[in-house]
Amino acid sequence: MMPGRIGHLPIAAENPLGLSWHDSAWIPSLNPSNIMDYFSERSNPFFDRTCNNEVVKMQRLNMDQLRNMTGLEYILLHVQEPILYVIRKQHRHSPDQTIPLADYYIIAGIVYQAPDLASVLNSRLLSAVHHLQCSFEETMTYSKYHPSKGYWWDFKANKSGPFNMGQSAPKEVTSTPKEEPSTLFQRQRVDMLLAELVRQFPLPVTQTTINQNGVTVKTENTNDKSSEKGGEGNLNNIQIKQEPMDPISSDMTNGNMQGHMDIKTEIKQENMKPPPEKKPRI
Amino acid sequence: MEESTLRYEKIDFLGEGQFATVYKARDVKTDKIVAVKKIKIGSRLEAQDGINRTALREIKLLQELQHINLIGLLDVFGQKSNVSLVFDFMDTDLEIIIKDNNIVLTPANVKAYMIMTLKGLEYLHQNWILHRDLKPNNLLINREGILKIGDFGLAKAFGSPTRINTHQVVTRWYRSPELLFGARQYGTGVDMWAIGCILAELLLRVPFLPGESDLDQLSRIFQVFGTPTEETWPGMKSLTDYVQYKQFPAQQLRHIFSAASDDLLQLMESLLALYPPRRCDCTQALQMPYFSNKPAPSVGSKLPMPSNITKIETEKPSLKRKLLDNIDGGLLAKKLQF
Repeated sequence: MMPGRIGHLPIAAENPLGLSWHDSAWIPSLNPSNIMDYFSERSNPFFDRTCNNEVVKMQRLNMDQLRNMTGLEYILLHVQEPILYVIRKQHRHSPDQTIPLADYYIIAGIVYQAPDLASVLNSRLLSAVHHLQCSFEETMTYSKYHPSKGYWWDFKANKSGPFNMGQSAPKEVTSTPKEEPSTLFQRQRVDMLLAELVRQFPLPVTQTTINQNGVTVKTENTNDKSSEKGGEGNLNNIQIKQEPMDPISSDMTNGNMQGHMDIKTEIKQENMKPPPEKKPRI
Repeated sequence: MEESTLRYEKIDFLGEGQFATVYKARDVKTDKIVAVKKIKIGSRLEAQDGINRTALREIKLLQELQHINLIGLLDVFGQKSNVSLVFDFMDTDLEIIIKDNNIVLTPANVKAYMIMTLKGLEYLHQNWILHRDLKPNNLLINREGILKIGDFGLAKAFGSPTRINTHQVVTRWYRSPELLFGARQYGTGVDMWAIGCILAELLLRVPFLPGESDLDQLSRIFQVFGTPTEETWPGMKSLTDYVQYKQFPAQQLRHIFSAASDDLLQLMESLLALYPPRRCDCTQALQMPYFSNKPAPSVGSKLPMPSNITKIETEKPSLKRKLLDNIDGGLLAKKLQF
């Protein structure tokens, strides 16, 4: 455990609650009489060596003197042999008045600082809020919008994706780009539509390009492709036919299955006529 | 002369040393408690100068020195062939406090003792005087918690480049390495080393370097600080009593003084530097972070006293003042109600 922690020491110095310490050489021989010596090991980050315990120890005096001193001290608060010891750090104001500052528990020789109530509440509230936020974020990923349809829920699309928002999320992010062929399909379809428009209205080419910019802001590369592939419209159509067969890709492109089916059929029927079909729908 | 002997009423016998007997006495004139140090005549050889040398040193130097942290020489009088010195009465000394196991010396107490010692010594050094016999036993403390450096029997002016001093000064455990190597020309460093040893003793409650002989003393010093080399201490080998020592590695002071704060260790390292020119002087020491950092030094009334000495009643006046303040406060409140 220690080696892993060492790397995080600077962070741990800020928050001792994220820290643990142990000395494996001591662990087999721990008992109530030496547990304080174990705790006062120099390397223990929880031990403040300017405390009264160490002052008395250094001056070779009796530990009973602690009661007559004021200031920082450590006491063995609770023993549950052989596994658990609780040590309290406290500020002594008089022989019978002390203010607890922190508790440390030693389980199987490993020392931790017991969190204070405020930290526990803070942590719990934070994790509650975090999970709430995650759920909202996840929910957001299911909501879809299309200018023609408005908003709708789409639970199928990212089925594998949004279950875990934590660390697995990036994986899904990488997996979604893999489904880009579907968006490529979308682009190609747009390209095809544009090519069709260009073919239908050769003269006002400038106008259509303006429209094209308005509709798909995605990439200009596709436009270039479209201009290149414009002549090979048939080939594109064949591909399109195949792709809608994949439900995922179809979902990605348009959400609404029916619409797609229509398009598919239309494409089958007449290669170059889907756009006019769609227009009345809008 | 007759007046002087009548002026001091003997109350108690305090102790006897090699050169003197000390009595506790009351100054009839001022009704103050004082310590009367009656110098022994000693042998014919010692007396041939007319007066014991240590007594002469004390009289000569202390007459001109006035500082809260130096023992005050109040009066000197002769009776028959004896000479007596009248000093401030001091209830205890640091040695007694260090050895009292019922007393815990808190970091604040240690700091208070160090400040008072260094302030007294700073004044002494500023007046070109070396004490040359600093040890807990010579740091006197009264019941107000004020520490005063005492016993100027070995004190001497320093700084003259031609003067040769004896190296047989300072009680061995507090003797600096250059003295142990037989240096005849030395400076404030010998006192600073002793202060370092006293600081260490305040922390450990036992003498830090209790050498059994001069050679053992050096051996103990090097076992802690590492054996110096010609690089770390230029000119060491030309000292008259230089002896080659085994190479010891230096130890970490923070392992020896486990509860000492880092700023304290910084001071101690500076006081106990082997190479004398590297040792700090009093002014530098007092400027170090240790003295401005927390905890604040204990006030005099909070400093511990051996159990057989009753502390001066400082509570009463403060309580009285509190009551008076309360009355004043009451009056003020009434005024406000108007």
